[in-house]
This record gives sequence, structure tokens and C-alpha cells, in this order.
Amino acid sequence: MSTEVVERPPQAPPAPPDASPPTTGRMRPAAIADSAGGMWGWLLQRVTAVVLIIGLLTHLVATHIFNLGHLSFLNIGDRLGSTFFVVIDVSLLAASIFHGLNGARMIVLDYWLESRASRRALSIVLWVFGSAVFVYGMWALWPWISR
Amino acid sequence: MSAKGGSVTPVDAAATNVGAGNWKGLGMWAWLLFRVAGIVLVVYLFAHIGVISSARWSGHSTLNSAFTLFDHPLFVLLDLLLVWAVLFHALNGVRILLMDFGLGIHRHKLVFVGCMAVAVISLGFFAFKAFAYIAAHHAGGLGGLV
Repeated sequence: MSTEVVERPPQAPPAPPDASPPTTGRMRPAAIADSAGGMWGWLLQRVTAVVLIIGLLTHLVATHIFNLGHLSFLNIGDRLGSTFFVVIDVSLLAASIFHGLNGARMIVLDYWLESRASRRALSIVLWVFGSAVFVYGMWALWPWISR
Repeated sequence: MSAKGGSVTPVDAAATNVGAGNWKGLGMWAWLLFRVAGIVLVVYLFAHIGVISSARWSGHSTLNSAFTLFDHPLFVLLDLLLVWAVLFHALNGVRILLMDFGLGIHRHKLVFVGCMAVAVISLGFFAFKAFAYIAAHHAGGLGGLV
């Protein structure tokens, strides 16, 4: 058996075992976990998105294509005399309030409110506010719906 | 991406472009405009609910005079900006939904361009209606407001 020295290709030195994670190029895992708005918020945001795409398309075409220049109290009443548009408008009201406020909440959570308690407080405030706006919106639509 | 509380491997970080690489390219603009349009739409939503509810506070004539004001070319053009915010937000949202289902995830730039094409074509339709309306009703000049 020969005793010649085998030439090894140069290798990078192994990383020290206690190397701290890089501080740039990635978020802290904890920050990623904290940035999540929760499973139900995520799911409802997508469900309301689909409702909004269908509902807003109907709403915009009905009001700004077919009734452009004809909008009035009575013109709204003509549409809300049909169950179809009542369903469209009420689901738009609910879906848009949730989608908008949850979207605003996600922006807030991206930058502020580190603690679990403050995040929970924000959710409660937004649910109370959103529910109130929905009731107010229904009150506003009621003269047309109940005709 | 790993589950809540887990760690992000370098492979995850590279695949999802997490971190320092966010502020570059098309995706950054899609994200930023999506947020700006979203904020605009939330503000408009509450203004819209406020205007429609005015009929309940002070009668039909208040709402009808608001609609007369909104028929002014200036407001028709603002409506067109709003329609663009809706279309951009909606079609970029469609892209996000497709990505959630894993559809087109390896061709996401193509999906984005396709979604934007749908948004621009739809905007063209609304713009045609808006300018035709302005031309038909305000051909004699921009009276009233301006």
C-alpha cells in the first residue's frame, strides 16, 4: 500500500456550531408567526373576496353602466324591489365591511401592536365597529327594502 | 412556509422571497398598490355608506341632489379612478387566490400580467362609458363646479 498523500479538493470550513442566524435576508421566525392574522381571518378574507368580486361586478354594472346618469332615490328603489338586488346589496354590505376592516387590521398588525392583548383588543374594537356599521347600513337601506 | 412558531429554512426564505429581497421588482409594486388601493376603498366604503344613508336623515331630495352632483364630469372622472382601484385590487386579489390554490405558482409573473390585462380591458370599458356620458351631457362645457 502506497503512502502517497491524496490531494483533496479545497473545502469550505464548516460553520461554527453556535453560529447565530443571519440578521438580514430573513424575518425572525417569531415575527412571521406574529404577523399572521389567524386562520379564520385569512379564510374569511378570501370568502368575502369572492363575494365582493361577484357582488361588486353586479353592483357596478347595474349602477354605473345601465343606470349611469339616472341614479336617484326612486332608481335605487326600482332595483331594491327585487330580491336579487336585496341579496346582492346586503351581502355586499356585510362582506365589504369585514373585508375592509380585516384588511386594515392586517396592515396595523404588520407594523404595530406587538402584544397578544393589544391584538385581541383591536379585533374586538373592529368587530364592534363593523357590526355597528352593518346595522347602520341596514337601517339606511330599510326604506327601500321594506317598500 | 412553516407552521406558526416554526422556523424558516433558507430554502423557504429563498422561495417566498422573505426579507431583504422584498423591495425590488414587480411584486413590490403589486403589493404596494394593492395596499394603497385597499386603503382608498375602505375610506370610500364608509363615505359611500354615509352618502346613501343621507336619505334617511334628511329625505329623498338630499340624496337626489348628491346624485346630481356626482353626475358632474369631475366626479365621473373620480369614479373612474375608483373603478381602477377596484379593478386593480380585485384582479391582484384573484392572483393571490390562484396562488393560494397553487395555480400558476411557477408562472406568477405571467398570471400577474394576465390579471392586469383583464383589469385594463375592463377599465377601458368603464372609461368608454364615462367619456361617452361626459360628451353627451356636458358637451357645452364644464358648468357648475369648475
